[in-house]
Amino acid sequence: MIKVLIAKPGLDGHDRGAKVIARALRDAGMEVIYTGIRQTPEQIVQTAIDEDVDILGVSILSGAHMKLVPRILELLKEKGSRIPVFVGGIIPEDDAAELKRLGVIEVYGPGTSTSEIIEKIKGYFENANI
Amino acid sequence: MQISESQIINGVSSKDRKSFAKLLSICEDNPVMANKIISRLQRKEAHVVGITGSPGVGKSSIINALLSKLSRRVGVIAVDPSSPFSGGALLGDRIRMQSHATDQNVFIRSFSSRGALGGLSPSIFEVCDAFETFDMDMILIETVGVGQSDTEIANIADTVVLLLSPDGGDEIQMMKAGIMEIADIFVVNKSDNPASIGLKTKLEGIIKFGGKNIPVILVNSITGDGVDNLIKELDSRFERIRVDGTFASKRKKRVFFHAQSFLRRKIDTIMQSIESDETDIEKIEKELIKKLCS
Repeated sequence: MIKVLIAKPGLDGHDRGAKVIARALRDAGMEVIYTGIRQTPEQIVQTAIDEDVDILGVSILSGAHMKLVPRILELLKEKGSRIPVFVGGIIPEDDAAELKRLGVIEVYGPGTSTSEIIEKIKGYFENANI
Repeated sequence: MQISESQIINGVSSKDRKSFAKLLSICEDNPVMANKIISRLQRKEAHVVGITGSPGVGKSSIINALLSKLSRRVGVIAVDPSSPFSGGALLGDRIRMQSHATDQNVFIRSFSSRGALGGLSPSIFEVCDAFETFDMDMILIETVGVGQSDTEIANIADTVVLLLSPDGGDEIQMMKAGIMEIADIFVVNKSDNPASIGLKTKLEGIIKFGGKNIPVILVNSITGDGVDNLIKELDSRFERIRVDGTFASKRKKRVFFHAQSFLRRKIDTIMQSIESDETDIEKIEKELIKKLCS
């Protein structure tokens, strides 16, 4: 059973995307925790660790991704966690490349189909043999 | 990431959250191993409080209000339903409690009911035992949003709190068997709604009619009004049941219910491995017994 945390850091309240993804992953047979809007990186990382999730999905539409995502990665590392992170939202290409360089496994922009995300997540765990 | 039994035991003993989080995952996936690890850890008897009630009545919000006022180590077990179709689940109880996500005295964990009926998850006994190895003073179990007959929480909790809100129906609904019978404390939430006072009065009448003495507390989980009264009631009940023998007998019964739940889970796992196109009940029974004995 794949356990996912869908988290929404920062100050924007646009969580339709996060809800759509949470719902789609649920329908794909995953256990999905959604923690609501306006979460701090500290709350997100502690939740991911306490819930022992297999993967963390971060949704940002505010433009603050270059501050928030690296902070989340840094906190995970600080706590000795290797939970993989994917990001969804309005992320310019250059930023997406930089986030991937920092360790994010995938960045999804507007228009990505939910089936693509589901397949990628499932594929990730098949390859990782968990 | 794999982590060994002894690492978990050492980690949980030194209150490492990551090790404890792993132990809870083992409770869900491998009850035999979980029970073995738990038996090797020191346990502290915490007050296990079940919070139950219908969907949207305010269970998560009451827990959040309790967490804000309880200055002690509290564990929260939040169960949400799994899908009968995909097996997946959307676990959203935490949304109301996220202000306590980084509180070092609080540990919140979400669980899918994984097909179990009755309002809890198949691993609930292992999970509850595990929380007792993490030096908790109180363990709050939030059931799924329940119907009238989801009473399993009474098998595990020392105290059952049943949450009601003023839109739940007339007196006859309150006189029915099932969930209304298992409450040790009634809480009427949404006290800002004038109808909640009427509900409290009706409820008190019905309790008196049944010859019982069960407290009814009015609260507003958003403003926190009445939550102090609830804490006072919980603490005085815990003190009382530890003296009058109720606690000891509940704990004794809990061991039996744990065994029952463990064995049911074992049978369920075997049943899932038997070909579903087999139609002969006797054959299925024989195969089940064979696999149980192997």
